[in-house]
Amino acid sequence: MKSIQATFEINGHEVTLSSAPNRTLLEVLRQDLGLTGAKDACGGEGECGACTVIMDGKAVNSCLVFIGQVQGCSIETIEGLSGNGDLHPLQRAFVEVGAVQCGYCTPGVIMASKALLNENPHPSDEDIREGLSGNLCRCTGYVKIVDAVRIAAEQQPRR
Amino acid sequence: MLEFDFLTPNRLDESTAILEETGGCILAGGTDLIPKMRNDLFFAPILVDLSNIDELSFIEEKDDQIVIGALTTHQAIAESALLKSTNPALVTAAGTVGCVQTRNRGTLGGNIANASPAADSVPPLLVYDAQIRLLNKAGERTMPLTEFLVGPGMTKLESGELIHSVSFSQLQGAWGGAFQKLGVRNGMAIAVVSVAAAIVLDASGKVSDTRLALGSVASTVVRSPKAESALIGHEPTPEVVSRAAEACAEDISPISDVRSTAEYRRHAAIVLARRVLEQAAAEARGRLV
Repeated sequence: MKSIQATFEINGHEVTLSSAPNRTLLEVLRQDLGLTGAKDACGGEGECGACTVIMDGKAVNSCLVFIGQVQGCSIETIEGLSGNGDLHPLQRAFVEVGAVQCGYCTPGVIMASKALLNENPHPSDEDIREGLSGNLCRCTGYVKIVDAVRIAAEQQPRR
Repeated sequence: MLEFDFLTPNRLDESTAILEETGGCILAGGTDLIPKMRNDLFFAPILVDLSNIDELSFIEEKDDQIVIGALTTHQAIAESALLKSTNPALVTAAGTVGCVQTRNRGTLGGNIANASPAADSVPPLLVYDAQIRLLNKAGERTMPLTEFLVGPGMTKLESGELIHSVSFSQLQGAWGGAFQKLGVRNGMAIAVVSVAAAIVLDASGKVSDTRLALGSVASTVVRSPKAESALIGHEPTPEVVSRAAEACAEDISPISDVRSTAEYRRHAAIVLARRVLEQAAAEARGRLV
């Protein structure tokens, strides 16, 4: 197996690394780059959304992207959200309403929410539920998650 | 995960040359392939990643044909204004694939090549008599999508070949189209049964053309000639539509599996067929002048 080289942007910084090609973006984020916000919860089936990151502006499951497919792309993870220690409005809203229980699904939920608000800044509750339908919370706290996303959306300037 | 070599061509001609030379397996969005490889259900010594072949990602109108590139994502289909106005059933179907993360990566070509009898994009393409265009290093061929899909996981795609695009003619006149899917829950569900329909009415309000296609009820997605012929030449009254929907049971051969039983699928297929035919007929009536 020949190793491959990949150059991509991670939270605004360009990285180049070499890796075996049978590794996923999630494995590289966690093991090579020390970015452990994205989680593996379903064992790489794309079922749970805990590994959600934003790839070229779109929410994707990083467990379903081989590292070679990331070449030239821009990746955003939960670690890139709070510049200078200031929480992102979504993060503040999650804290404010207590939309966190065990926390394992939270980074993925927040990244999926961010991608949703980028495309649809003022979503209905149904849009929020649809946008987060790929993110499972096994503490089953969806009501507060939807509340938090709605609050973060309300804080954005109206278009 | 097992080991493999990973090749990333940058041009279409380079892709077909590499596929011809290596006999490698095509990787598109990876939403089906990667979990299969991780679970050792599929192995390929060489993967040919088509991420960089932007020219296979497009939705366009060419003469009276709609053409969709193989690397077009489900999300791009779900959001396409051109498809909303020409094949709303396909737009609805694309919006029911997995969740947004899956739709952002999964591609139309991958959904077809995977050849699942439950593939969401296939019923709406069959009701439009879609054609599939295949390329290899030496040239290309085009065939009806029904012919391309042979059985569960089996297609006519040959080693060295890739799916370029799918095309279909727009329906003309007073037409309507619809898609409905029944899963065990609303989000992230693989179809228990899925049905797509198209109806075209003549000036007197009688059905001049109709197609019905059903997923997850046979070894491939299938059309129902029995239901279609029960509608042709008739006004689509509730009685006529019900009779046509019941006739579809003769064209399907559902099995029992982890998602449902054969008996339930047969029942649900009839119910969904009636609903999509009613929906398509109502839309077609709205276009009658």
